[in-house]
Formats: sequence, structure tokens, C-alpha cells
Amino acid sequence: MTLVARDPRAPFTLTPPVLPLERRTRGYDLPLAGIALVLSLAGAVLVWAATKESSGQAFLYRHLLNLAVAAALMLATSRLNARLLRLFGPVMYLGSLFGLLLVLVAGSTINGAKAWIRLGGGFELQPAEFMKLGLIVGMAVLFTRYRDDRGEDEPPTTRDVLTAGVLIALPIGLILLQPDLGSAMVLGCAVFGVLIAAGVPARWTVGLLVVAVVIAIVVVKAGVLHDYQLARFEVFAHPDRDVQGIAYNVHQAHIAIANGGLFGRGLFDGPQTNGGFVPEQQTDFIYSVAGEELGLVGAGAIIVLFTFLCWRGLRIARAGDPTGRLVAVGVVCWLAFQAFQNIGMNLGLTPVTGVPLPFVSYGGSAMFAQGLALGLLQAVHRRAFD
Amino acid sequence: VADRPRRPPSPRRFGIVVTLVISMMLTLFARLYYVQLLDPDKPTQTAHLLHDGYIVVPAARGLIVDARGRPLVQNTSTQEVTVDREVLQKLPDKGRAVLSRLAGLLGTTADRLGKEITPCSPKVPAPCWTGQPYQPVPVLSDAPTGVVLTISEHREQYAGVAVQTVSRLEYPYGTLAAHVLGYTSDVTAQDVAKNSDLNEADTIGASGLEQQYDSVLRGSDGKQVVQLSPQGYTVSYGKRIPAEQGDTLVTSIDLDVQRLAEQSLAQQIRDSRKAGKPATSGAVVVMDPNTGRIIAAASYPTYDPRLFIGGISAADYRRLTDPAANTPLLSRAIAGEYAPGSTFKLITSSSLYMHDQINLHDTYPCPGSLTIDGRVKTNYDSEVLGPVTLENALGYSCDTFFYRPTADEYYADQSRLAKGKPAREWLQHMAAQYGVGRVPDVDLPAGEQAAGSYADRETRMARWKANRAQYCAAARRGYPEVKDQADRTYLTQLASENCTDGWRYRAGDNADMSIGQGETTMSPLQLALAYSAMLNGGRIWEPTFGWGVVDGRGKVVRTIEPKVRNRVPVSQKLFNYVTKSLSFSRGWAVSGAFAYMDSKYRDRIGGKTGTAEVFGKQDTSWLATWGPTYKQGGSTRARYVMVGMVEQAGTGATAAGPMLKRIWDGLLGPSPIVPGAKPATTLPHVAPQVRVVRR
Repeated sequence: MTLVARDPRAPFTLTPPVLPLERRTRGYDLPLAGIALVLSLAGAVLVWAATKESSGQAFLYRHLLNLAVAAALMLATSRLNARLLRLFGPVMYLGSLFGLLLVLVAGSTINGAKAWIRLGGGFELQPAEFMKLGLIVGMAVLFTRYRDDRGEDEPPTTRDVLTAGVLIALPIGLILLQPDLGSAMVLGCAVFGVLIAAGVPARWTVGLLVVAVVIAIVVVKAGVLHDYQLARFEVFAHPDRDVQGIAYNVHQAHIAIANGGLFGRGLFDGPQTNGGFVPEQQTDFIYSVAGEELGLVGAGAIIVLFTFLCWRGLRIARAGDPTGRLVAVGVVCWLAFQAFQNIGMNLGLTPVTGVPLPFVSYGGSAMFAQGLALGLLQAVHRRAFD
Repeated sequence: VADRPRRPPSPRRFGIVVTLVISMMLTLFARLYYVQLLDPDKPTQTAHLLHDGYIVVPAARGLIVDARGRPLVQNTSTQEVTVDREVLQKLPDKGRAVLSRLAGLLGTTADRLGKEITPCSPKVPAPCWTGQPYQPVPVLSDAPTGVVLTISEHREQYAGVAVQTVSRLEYPYGTLAAHVLGYTSDVTAQDVAKNSDLNEADTIGASGLEQQYDSVLRGSDGKQVVQLSPQGYTVSYGKRIPAEQGDTLVTSIDLDVQRLAEQSLAQQIRDSRKAGKPATSGAVVVMDPNTGRIIAAASYPTYDPRLFIGGISAADYRRLTDPAANTPLLSRAIAGEYAPGSTFKLITSSSLYMHDQINLHDTYPCPGSLTIDGRVKTNYDSEVLGPVTLENALGYSCDTFFYRPTADEYYADQSRLAKGKPAREWLQHMAAQYGVGRVPDVDLPAGEQAAGSYADRETRMARWKANRAQYCAAARRGYPEVKDQADRTYLTQLASENCTDGWRYRAGDNADMSIGQGETTMSPLQLALAYSAMLNGGRIWEPTFGWGVVDGRGKVVRTIEPKVRNRVPVSQKLFNYVTKSLSFSRGWAVSGAFAYMDSKYRDRIGGKTGTAEVFGKQDTSWLATWGPTYKQGGSTRARYVMVGMVEQAGTGATAAGPMLKRIWDGLLGPSPIVPGAKPATTLPHVAPQVRVVRR
């Protein structure tokens, strides 16, 4: 009490060597960080459950290591002020764009998509994950650039929207070339959120949607998509067809979740999981572990946690400055849609498109990008509430 | 616009985002609730459908060693290249790149390799993989070092390709004792149906000792248990039971004697052929008359048992069973049946003496020829000896000496029959006592030992009833396909006789039998057993090759003892007499001694020649010998009995004589090939096996 009181006339402030907890955490949205931490730790346990039969604790440790790195990235990003954020956007965008180009030239292929850059030592980087951030922040900066000249709530100009269109088209095009349909869809959804929040007129938003649909049709017709991707949609339309092949994943995940019931089969006791029936279970199909072993209670809790996460994010957006608001909405749309897409495909609700469940799935690049995203939300929050 | 109050920006637009997020989350939760609690068509759990499969790790077969512990069949480790189809299937290109690289390395095509590793099914024709779908498929056995090195140095280019060490049978002495050791074959589905312990990855003994002692030699396979998904994919690996190599079979074969016997046999075939004889085949048997153990058994022509490793080709098998190539697969020493000729006189002498038809001090006529039932029967080359004792009748091998009493025996039987009494058939009964007409029950598969034969009234009648129609038809037809006029007449006459009188057993038949002709046949082994009886007090052995079974730690599991089947009802006095009569110490007085006149050991051995006439062929050359003799109590004993036979090679003295002499030279010469110049009496020490581990 005594030390915290600040005399505005004091010539200098004394910063005590050890700050009390409330001072050190001041400005941070602790519930947001808490929810993300709970999801990530649940992810660690589920990843462990999915891989313990085949790999012991190896995936658990790596997931925890990824989590630690992501936490450090979050803390670092949360220190960004408005000026640095304006710098962060373009740098992230250009860096990721370069990464996407590099992937096309020298990427390594995993599960059919050429989406990874090998760093050596077993580490690989997926530029598309970072592009999500780059595009969101880049657009937020673009739309709020002349905010001071114009009115506080003026919608972006036509020129801004067209520029944004180019900014969006470039990375989505590159990602579709990999081809990584899931990431492109998530990117599109995040952009859609930013456009709405930025007050872009409905005709533009709807127009962009139409363009996206047209492009999608052209892409399918022109054969840009690989056979396996079309087959995934085929399976989505006819889930009982070809259980051996592409539908196998979906079918096995469905069996696992359906047999979880209300309380699940018990952690580490899922027979489908332990039998190794669900391929890619520690990444794209991690949710099926929760469904089988923790049941409706556990798997439902994950959905509830994501809902809370989005609520905290939107709360930050509502209170944030114009740029921060757009960033926050974009991040929320990104995480929400990705979670929806991933859980949806586990539940047979959406086509299989290879996107991980945020925070929960095993995977370094995604975890790091999500750490950076949370850091941005915290930065927005700090400026709004500090 | 300017005076609009400052408020949280665009609530409506915010509302869109909030609504979207909430509806997405609600949709997810509703779907989750439905899938987990409501869905009436809940998919059933499949995890319990996991079933156990296993990958068989074949056990290395046990060794077969000789009487001094030297391996005759052993294992060698070779490198085998396998392809794991499951690993290939998981590669993005389904392993096409790996297969084409491997095909280049192995000198085949990727297409062919792909077919070889595809599990067989009604839709998949050969070549295909007959094993379990989850089992790595061997694509190259005996992989050369270059291939092995390339694969192990570039593992990343050969995903799913592995090199494993497998054990394979090896015959360090090539064709040595091939007929006795036998060959192995891959287990077939029929074998598995008969014996569920077998697996198609196994090797099974298919002939010879490999077959007879298969249960000893096979060992027990190891198993790698795998959990399989309902689709047949390996889900996890369970426990692993290591393979146990089969036990070692110690045989009484002496490698050196066997080798010498085979070399001498092959040389005799060459020499006889040089002398203008066909000399199509031959055999040698060496045994210990005192134990019933067989020390060597050689047959010519022979074959290479290595041809059977990994499956014999149809062409090779045809060649090995082709009569035009003298059927190399036939083990003549044990499974061949030949007229024994004069060597049979041991049995005839036994019968005549034991039934008081002759005695050992009187002389009996030995004319050049004798007419029995209107047919003229001559000595070999119509030699005339005058009155002789049994000693000289055996030594000089007089045939007519034996004709008279055996013909008399026939007439006596006929008059008994006329009086309604049964025929005695002494000669036939004595032959049966010596083992003629019954397989010797040597420890080889039943189909690989000959029983031999002789004629008597009953069998003659039975055969006539069975074949009468055939004889009569042949007599009517008159053999138009036979070129030679005399042969044609003879054959037609024979058929005509057989047609009308074929049931009749005649005096001439009994006379023929007395000198080992007519329908009398024996295998070389049977003859060796008969002469062994003469030298061991009358015991007829059920002879053996197997001597002992030794496990992997070198411990003797069991010893195999030959059994005495029966004792021939012959006095020791006659045995001593015949042995003395045929001792080579009598020099020119014994026909068998001709080749041994200069041998230092001549006085210690004896033998009986045989020159069997075969219609349409040259004579079969026989010699039954024994030695070195020694006295035990009042009996003459011998360390070895050795029988030699060369088909279509002339007299016993000219072909079989020198052939066996080379072996006797090895056994009794200045540097005996067997230590102590007598058969080994104790089981050799067998070193513990070095385990050959698979994978």
C-alpha cells in the first residue's frame, strides 16, 4: 500500500526489485491466459493418451516444450505498444509470405501437403500458421492507418478494401498451392471477421464471399485440388463409403467418440485410442481422445472453454483501440473457426481438412502462432485497461 | 457525424461475430451430445475385434553328425532381403519408388516385385505372397554382400526393406551320403493339415534321415505375436517366443568310410565301363555285425541334396527320377532289389545243413550241368568240379552242387502235398528267417527300404490268379515289338507257359532260388544283415543309422539302439564252417579272394561272390565280405561286414571284388582310416550349438 501510491510530483519513481503479484500481472487478462493454459495442459494429457502406446512420453514432453516456448512468445508479444504493433503487422505478413514462397520451393511434404520448412534437428516450421497472424494484424493496420485523419468510426475506403483484397489473395493463393485447404479456410474466416469488424460495407463483404465461392468452384474444376482432397469432401457427403480408405479416419474417430458416452471410458482407457485405431490422433483427431476417454463431460468442457476464450477475446476487442479491436476480432474468428472446423470434422460435421485444434493438438508451429496471438490480445488488453 | 457520441464501436457488426461464434459452439455441442448420447445408430466398438496373429520365426534345423561328431548336415547363415508391405503402403507413393530402386538392385522389375509381395487371393494370381499379409515378404535369399551393404547403407532410400540373417541347411561334403541323409522341402498346406505344429515357413524332412528324425531335427519355431486390426494391419507387437534349434542327430556313419565307399564305387563304375560293361549303378553297405549299426551306405548314381533347398525345380526333379539316367534319387543300397546270385548260398547252405539234406564232411557232385524237369541247368561257364564238399562248393561257387538237394526237397514236398500234407518249403522258411521278403526296419522311411522277395507255391498261385488274363493275352499277341527272333520266341513261350501253367511251382524254381536267382531278390543292406547274422551268432538286426540325439547344450537326450529282430535257427558250427570255407586265406580256392591275393590283410577277411544273371542284361556283380575276423569263444567274429554290388558289370570277382578291396585297404591298410581299425563304440562328444538367430 505504501509503495504502490505514486506521487505525480515525485522526480523519479522507485521500482522495487520484487514487484507484488498484482502489479506484475496488472494489465493482463488472466482468465484468458488461464483458459488457454487449461486447454493446453488438457491437450498435453490427451496427446499423451493418444501416443503413450506407440511412443511413451515423447510427444508429451515435446508438447510441454512447445507450450513453454508459446508462453514466452505470448509474454514478449504482450509488451508490444501501438507503434510496435504497426511494425509487427507488416513484418509478420512479409515474413510469412516469404515463408510460403520458400515452402513451395523447398518445403517438405507431410500428409500430402507441402506445407513445412525443415529447420534441422527434427524441427519444422509451418509458415501458414504465422500468416494467419500476419494477415490479421496487417489488415488491422491497413484499415486504421488514416484513422486520425478521418472519423473514428469511418468505414474503410474502397481503395483500402481493394488493397486488402490483394493482401488476402496473395497468401490464400499460395496456401492453396501447397495445397492446404484447411488453413486457407481458416484464413478466409479470420479475414471475414476483420472485414466485418472494420465496418467494410456489406456489399464488399458479400462481394468478397461471392468471389471466394467462385474461386473455390474454379479451383475444384481446374484440378488445383488433389484427388485426396476431393475424396475427403466425397467422404463427408457419403460417410459410409470406403471405410478402408479416406473415410477410415473419420469412421474411427466417430466410433471412439460415440462410445465415450456421458463420462467417457476413463483417461488412458479408451480402447480405440489405445488400440491405435485412429490415425493422426495426436494432431487433427485429438478431440476423439477427449470424446472417448472423457465423454460428453470432458469433450463438452473443451467446447465450453473455447466459448469462454472467445468471450474474453471479444471483450478485449470491444474495449480496445481501433487497431487492437480489429486484431482481437480477427484472432477470435481465427481460433473459433479453427476449433469449429477441427471439432466438427471429429464429429463428422465438417469435411476433413487437416487443421489442428488450437492449444490442444500436438504441433509446434500452431502452438507458437497461438502464443503470439494471445500475446497480441494481451497487448490490446493492457492498453485498454492499464 | 461529428457530434455522434463516443460509444463502443459498431455493436451491430460485433453482434454478427458474437452470433457466429456462439452458433458455432452451440452447433458443436449439440452434435457432440447427439453423437455421444442420442445417436440410435451408434457405431460399434471395434477395438475388441483386435485379434492376435503371429509371425513365425522358423527354427534352425538340427545337425546330423557322423560317428566321430563331424557334421554331415549343418546350418549356415545367409542374408535374406525382405519387404514389409505395411510400411510401403504407408508411404505417399505406396512404395513405388522403393520398389523400383530395389528392383534395380536385385535385377528384376518393380512390377514383378510388387506382385511377389501382394498376398495371394482368388483375385491375385501367382506370383504372389502365400504367407500372412502382415509378415515381411522375403524377396531374395542368399543375398550377395553388395546388395546387403547397399540396403543397409541407404536405409532411408529403402523404407520397409530389411536384411535378415536366416539359417539354411548346408552339406559340408556335398553329395556325401545324400541318399541316407535325405533332403528337405518347404512345408506345404497339406503338411500343415496333417500336423498343426507345422507352419508354411518351416522346412520339413522329406526323405532319408531328415524325414525319419524330422521331429528331432525340426526344433520348435519362435513366434512374434502381433495384434491385428480387423483390417489385418499390425496394431502392436506382443510377446516374442524365441525359436529353438532342433537337436543334433548323431549317426553311426563314419565320414571317412562313407567317402571312401562312394569314391571306390564311382571309380568301379568308371573302370567297368572302361572294360566295356554298362555298369549302370551300384551300391556299397558297410556295417558293424556286432551292433547292427550301419557305417556306410553308398549308392550310384547319386544326387546333390542342395538342389532341394528352397524347393527343387521340376526339371531337376525329372532328371533325378528319370530311369534313362538310372534314377539318381533311388537309394540302391537300401531300396534297391536285385537277384543276389551265389551270395544267397549262405542261406541255402543253412537250410540244407540244418535239415540234414547235406553234411559237412561228405562230397557231393558238381557236374557242369544238370537236367531238372527236362530243363538243363549249368554252372557258371559250365565248369566241372567233380565231387566236392560244401567248403569247396562255396569257395569255387558251384551251382549244380545246390540244385540236386533243393530239387529233391521240392519233390519231397510234392509227395507230401499228394498225401494231403502241407509242403515244408524249408528253403523259403530259412530265407524268411534271414529277413528276405520283409523290410529290414532300418531307421529310414518305410518307402525307402526294400523287402526283397522269393517264390513259393502260395505266392506263385496268387500271382497267377491275378495276372492270368494278361499272360494269355501276351501269348496270343506274341511280342511283335521285340526285334530279336530268339527273344521273341522265348518271351512268347514264357507267356504261353505262364498262361496255362503259371500257377505251378516247379523243381527248377527251387533250384533257381538255391543260387539266388529266379524270383529271389535282396537289397545290399539285407545281404549285409544276413552275413552279419553269420558273424554274430545268428542275430538279425533291425539296423540303424541313428545313434544318439544330443540337445543344444551338448547333452545326450537319448541313444538309439538297434534291436535284434530274430535269431536265425542255424548252429554256430555251420557259421564257423562257412566262414572258414570262404576265408580269403584259402587263396585261389575262394572266388572272392581273387582281387585280394596280394593284400597283407588277406588272411583276416573272407567273402562270397555273386554273379547274378538278369534276363536281357549283363550280370550283376556281388561281393559280400567280412573282416577282420577274430575268435570269440568257439565262434568266428568280424568287426565289419561289407557288401558291394555293381549292376551289369560282370562277375563278382571282377567288379565288386576290386571295388571293396579299395575300402578294405582303407580300413585295414597300413594307415587305417578308422582309429583302431574297428567301428567306434562310444557316442562322440557334440559341442553345444552356436545359435543361429533369425531377426
